[in-house]
Amino acid sequence: MFSLLTPFRSHKYLLLQLTQKEIKARYKQSFVGYAWILVNPLAQLAIYTFVFSLVFRFPTNNIPYAIFLFSALLPWTFFQTTILSATNSLVSHADLLKKVAFPREVIPYSVALGKLVDFIFATVVFFVFLLFYKVTLHASALLFIPIFLIQIVLTTGVSLFLAAANLLYRDIQYLTGLIMLAWFYASPIVYPLSLVPVKYVWAYKLNPMVGLTEAYRSVLFGYPLETSILLWSTIVSVLIFCFGFWFFKKVERVFADVV
Amino acid sequence: MQASIIFKNVKKEFLLQEDRTFKEFLPSLLSGKGWATTKEVLHEISFTISQGETVALVGKNGAGKSTILKLIAGVTYPSSGLVAVQGQVAPLIELGAGFHHELSGYENIFLNAAILGMHKKEIELCLSDIIAFSELEEYLHVPLKKYSTGMQMRLAFSIAIHTPAPILLVDEVLAVGDADFQKKCLRRLTEIKNTGDKVIVFVSHDEKSVVNFCERAILLENGEVVKDSIPSKIFELYLSNSQ
Repeated sequence: MFSLLTPFRSHKYLLLQLTQKEIKARYKQSFVGYAWILVNPLAQLAIYTFVFSLVFRFPTNNIPYAIFLFSALLPWTFFQTTILSATNSLVSHADLLKKVAFPREVIPYSVALGKLVDFIFATVVFFVFLLFYKVTLHASALLFIPIFLIQIVLTTGVSLFLAAANLLYRDIQYLTGLIMLAWFYASPIVYPLSLVPVKYVWAYKLNPMVGLTEAYRSVLFGYPLETSILLWSTIVSVLIFCFGFWFFKKVERVFADVV
Repeated sequence: MQASIIFKNVKKEFLLQEDRTFKEFLPSLLSGKGWATTKEVLHEISFTISQGETVALVGKNGAGKSTILKLIAGVTYPSSGLVAVQGQVAPLIELGAGFHHELSGYENIFLNAAILGMHKKEIELCLSDIIAFSELEEYLHVPLKKYSTGMQMRLAFSIAIHTPAPILLVDEVLAVGDADFQKKCLRRLTEIKNTGDKVIVFVSHDEKSVVNFCERAILLENGEVVKDSIPSKIFELYLSNSQ
């Protein structure tokens, strides 16, 4: 169990350097540079707001649709971008895998940390939107942080599994794009949970992102928090992380041979 | 700390996966056939390298030199047998693993040194030495992609040569860079060697640099140790075998 944390101590500086590289290199040769961190979520927000509040008109409990959406879209964007980049991360670091020994999980971890920085910047935009729409957050909004930590556990678990699996079979990276698209619409991000047919709600809630997304909105806007599905999401997240980590460590020894 | 490398009956097999997709994997799984064949690249190799030694690995392509370096570096593991490496390893294998082309030379020094296992303080301590050795002061803040191959090699070599790691793996690195820089590298490697507490494993096809630099050489052929002796004898055998 303690070995989970060793890379953060023994390879702290490497982790930091790889994370910096993730962030710096991404926007180096672009005109607006780091502004892309903000442009992406804003553009997504504009598109989804148009489609789902002007065309479909989802009920959002008196909260402006943009705010309703943003509160779930930001954590989702962290989830999706981390998983998509992490899946390719080992393959794109093939030269390192073949030459230098260090705990391999440092690579997907650095991806997640890089995306976490993006997330924090995008959160600033969220606050600007709150001011603009004159929405005040509920006092329980600080609980967002522990819930987001659970999501980080889930994200890292999925990332570890897919990164290692992609090294064995490159099909995974194509499959991941599809899975994430399906997962996005299988979570209450652009629409409220109340629109899911009652018959299917129990199955729908098996998706750990449902409990997390609902919990974000509950604590931010002061709805009653459904603890049972948050508990379910937490258990699933921890189990997925354990499985992902176990699988990653199990195949780690052959990384250099198969890459 | 004592630095040493011990190989005891080391066998290494690779899986020959022809194509890494489910398309091939599924039918062969259903038919119960093995979907990957194995190829043995090292057959029960044994040797010991102790502290202070500078040893060259000599052999044709495919003889197993790179596999041995990977085993020493700890990125791959033997199929059977024992590999015991004492001391941190700094690989100078195909220099510049982990360089990022969009980042500047300066940023790459920190990135690359971190990859080689150095901490921030250690890097800062020898930063000026690294920069001076590379002779790239004026290009430090230029993105690495603007560097020529020779310049990249110079930077990579300068970083690697300053690691405190007691085991250095040097793989054909001297093939790049101009003659002056090659000489400088060899001089620097000789200095390191003369401190007597390092282990240097050297892979090269260049007879002159091996004979000048190493006091011991191991001749490999098809994954087996053919001879373990002084470099001049090894090259005599190697050259007569290849004719």
